Amino acid sequence: MKSKLRSYIINLSATLLVYFVLSTLIGSGAINKYYASILIMIGINVIMTVSLNLTTGFLGELALGHAGFMSVGAFTAGIITKQLTASMGWDAAACLPISLLAGGILAAVMGFLIGVPALRLKGDYLAIITLGFGEIIRVIIQNMQITGGASGISRIPRINNFSITFFVMAAVIVVMFTLGRSRHGRAILSIRENAVAAESTGISVTRYKIFAFTFAAFFAGIAGGLYAHQIGRISAATFDFNKSIEYLVMVVLGGMGSITGSIIAAGVLTLLPELLRQFADYRMLLYSIMLILMMLFRPKGLMGTAEFSLTFVWDRLTGFYKRAASSKATPKPVTMPDSPTYAVKEGAPVLETRNLGIRFGGLQAAEGVNLQLFDNEIVGLIGPNGAGKTTVFNMLTGVYLPTEGDIQLLGQSIVGKKTYEIVADGVARTFQNIRLFKSMTVLENIKVAFHTRMHYSPASGIFRLPKYAREERGIEQRARELLRVFNMEESADLPADGLPYGQQRKLEICRALATSPKVLLLDEPAAGMNPIETRELMETIGLIRNRFSVAILLIEHDMKLVMGICERIYVLNYGRIIAQGTPTEIRNNPEVIRAYLGHSDGGVKKGEEGEAHGNA
Amino acid sequence: MVLFFNQLINGLGTGAIYALIALGYTMVYGIVKLINFAHGDIMMVGSYTAVLLMVNAGVSFPVALMGSMLICVVFGVAIERVAYKPLREAPRICSLITAIGVSYLLQNSAQLLFSANPRPFPPVFSVPPITLGGISISFVTLVTVVVSVLLMIGLNLFVMTSRTGKAMRAVSEDIGAAKLMGINVNMTISVTFAIGCALAGIGAFLYCIAYPSVAPTMGAMPGLKAFIAAVLGGIGILPGAMLGGFIMGVAESLTKGFVSTQLSDAVVYGILIIVLLFKPSGMLGRVQREKV
Repeated sequence: MKSKLRSYIINLSATLLVYFVLSTLIGSGAINKYYASILIMIGINVIMTVSLNLTTGFLGELALGHAGFMSVGAFTAGIITKQLTASMGWDAAACLPISLLAGGILAAVMGFLIGVPALRLKGDYLAIITLGFGEIIRVIIQNMQITGGASGISRIPRINNFSITFFVMAAVIVVMFTLGRSRHGRAILSIRENAVAAESTGISVTRYKIFAFTFAAFFAGIAGGLYAHQIGRISAATFDFNKSIEYLVMVVLGGMGSITGSIIAAGVLTLLPELLRQFADYRMLLYSIMLILMMLFRPKGLMGTAEFSLTFVWDRLTGFYKRAASSKATPKPVTMPDSPTYAVKEGAPVLETRNLGIRFGGLQAAEGVNLQLFDNEIVGLIGPNGAGKTTVFNMLTGVYLPTEGDIQLLGQSIVGKKTYEIVADGVARTFQNIRLFKSMTVLENIKVAFHTRMHYSPASGIFRLPKYAREERGIEQRARELLRVFNMEESADLPADGLPYGQQRKLEICRALATSPKVLLLDEPAAGMNPIETRELMETIGLIRNRFSVAILLIEHDMKLVMGICERIYVLNYGRIIAQGTPTEIRNNPEVIRAYLGHSDGGVKKGEEGEAHGNA
Repeated sequence: MVLFFNQLINGLGTGAIYALIALGYTMVYGIVKLINFAHGDIMMVGSYTAVLLMVNAGVSFPVALMGSMLICVVFGVAIERVAYKPLREAPRICSLITAIGVSYLLQNSAQLLFSANPRPFPPVFSVPPITLGGISISFVTLVTVVVSVLLMIGLNLFVMTSRTGKAMRAVSEDIGAAKLMGINVNMTISVTFAIGCALAGIGAFLYCIAYPSVAPTMGAMPGLKAFIAAVLGGIGILPGAMLGGFIMGVAESLTKGFVSTQLSDAVVYGILIIVLLFKPSGMLGRVQREKV
């Protein structure tokens, strides 16, 4: 049996089993009405928690206003059902899908409207602004006629039941899982791991942040709709800041980034206060102590970022893998990621800067920089610390917007383009201080980089359409090939931050190459390496040029490396190019020697005198 | 016009209390980057201490003030040592959740000890309001504003000039480097919490004089508002907290007087959002770009 199909069958049967057991127990009265309603509340809270986990766990942005979206969904759904049943004479049960969907959509619209401005902020400021928006939603609902003002609306047909809640919840969980395992989910995760690296690997950070935020709001809206039809009367005060915090606590206790963790935490934390009912006076006290102890002794939450896999347990119990080893896989259709063809003109540079410069306030960090990089060339960019080398890289990749001059890639200006667009155009880079997606595996790090070269939509990924499967198989193959070229295949499934230092640098280069660039920018690739690692790196860079047909521009302080592999070298000092030429020319250039060793006409002396004074 | 000035003065009074609590928030955030959600509840602890001392033990007002500041300091420092210190290296969201836990713990303990029913706060000053051409300024408001401005100036001087203040600024920039320079980091953080909580103790008194009723959840709302005030002014910056507090108080009071009572919260949050969108690190904050 195919492994994917097997896992679908195992999970589907388990879900149905749980459903039939619970619904039989409820039907026969073994679970009384009171506990049945708690089960339904658990279902609703699972949806809320799992969706909040998308923003807080997967995207890594603290959101303190999730209950606001729930309230938008609850009121929208409640009002629609009431209207349709009262004035149009519709059957209440028939209204439910429409109201739920409408609630979800309106919540998503709110999420989008709030997300667009709010996500420009970072960290705690973002958290506070989501808190602010959540509270504003509450106050507005409390002051609107249609939502019944402060008293809210009541007599909403109570048509929600266990089956509806269970299957909606199951659907939301499945969607979260499949989304998380698609290229879109990987993009969201990579933003949590390292937003700068994600952008430089071709991911539009803003777009995916808004996507995750909107998506989470949609599900919160649906949960709100279920809630409205469960309780029958809603008031905006229910969905206040404390409610948002309640869900945040569930996410954190379950483990940020773990869907199964969220499910368990939502279940336990909904049930716990009910079980502690006989200690009514002490239950909130116990709850708060538990919260503190949990954080002190298990700060990553119950599950961390891990997931509980039923398939894995099943395989262990039945010893499936022993048998699987002998089965042969039949080849399946594969779509390879795009490998763009770059129109390189004979004799023209692939990358060229013309009078490039940038000014930060009063500081001219770079000025009149003219670089040319030809196809298949390895060019060095050297200069003393603070000369502006990384600034030039940041302009080339769209991290900084140059204030003067132009950058031409294959004859087209790329000034003003976003970083991720420049990646798609064919410029990839590495960083001075390594920026990997640390808790993702080596293989996943590379898969993220194929993002711009893939096409399937979020819907394709969520519903696992053939397009998704073909493209995913394609990048799986490509990523492994790439790792094989760099002798890193055995590390494919290790977390990236578990690699030794030299390997981490190599992985970063590997990831940059996965975006299929024409130009590769390496920012101090040998920094922190020992001589053996540096020698290996020199071989790697040579190998890249021979195999991948790229032009390489590298910043480096290790002169042995620069002189050993670069065909041409530019020397930057105080933001200006002071020399260029072959390694031999550069080595003998008096300007360069002066830049590195100081002036021979007393400049050094002056400095020494100053220091002597300071010491005295 | 008279109504306007009366509302303005009321707003300044409330704003001064927000500002005092915000100072504590901002100091703690500045040094350990923790949104100390329990800060408002420390104020509640101070208020109960004051009631117990003045009503049950019958001590005089200045002694009660000292006593409640002391209890706030003890609570604040103990909470930091027990609940926050072990999580200094953990992701920041963990200490945030712990702070929420501490806040619940304080509220629920108070509820067990004193029941949920509010207790009246005894009158402290019986000075008639000063009237100036129809505008009346209550003595309490005057004291509140003066006290909080003086405290802010004093605190700012302390942080900018004293040895301990310098240590605080160093720890807030870089804990590791501060340690290497011989600064006792744990001590410095404790002192910061102590000062913040002492201010909360004073804030508790001023708050209770203005709104003479003490309840277990009384700290939550002013705590949240004070925090927003701190963010509005630029979190980690002392004059910012004061500015934010006054803006919030005045905006709230003017909305209540001229627009609608219910919308006052929306206006406050609206101001916060607009300010953050145009100045992402608050009114007096400086933007820090991530170095690539």
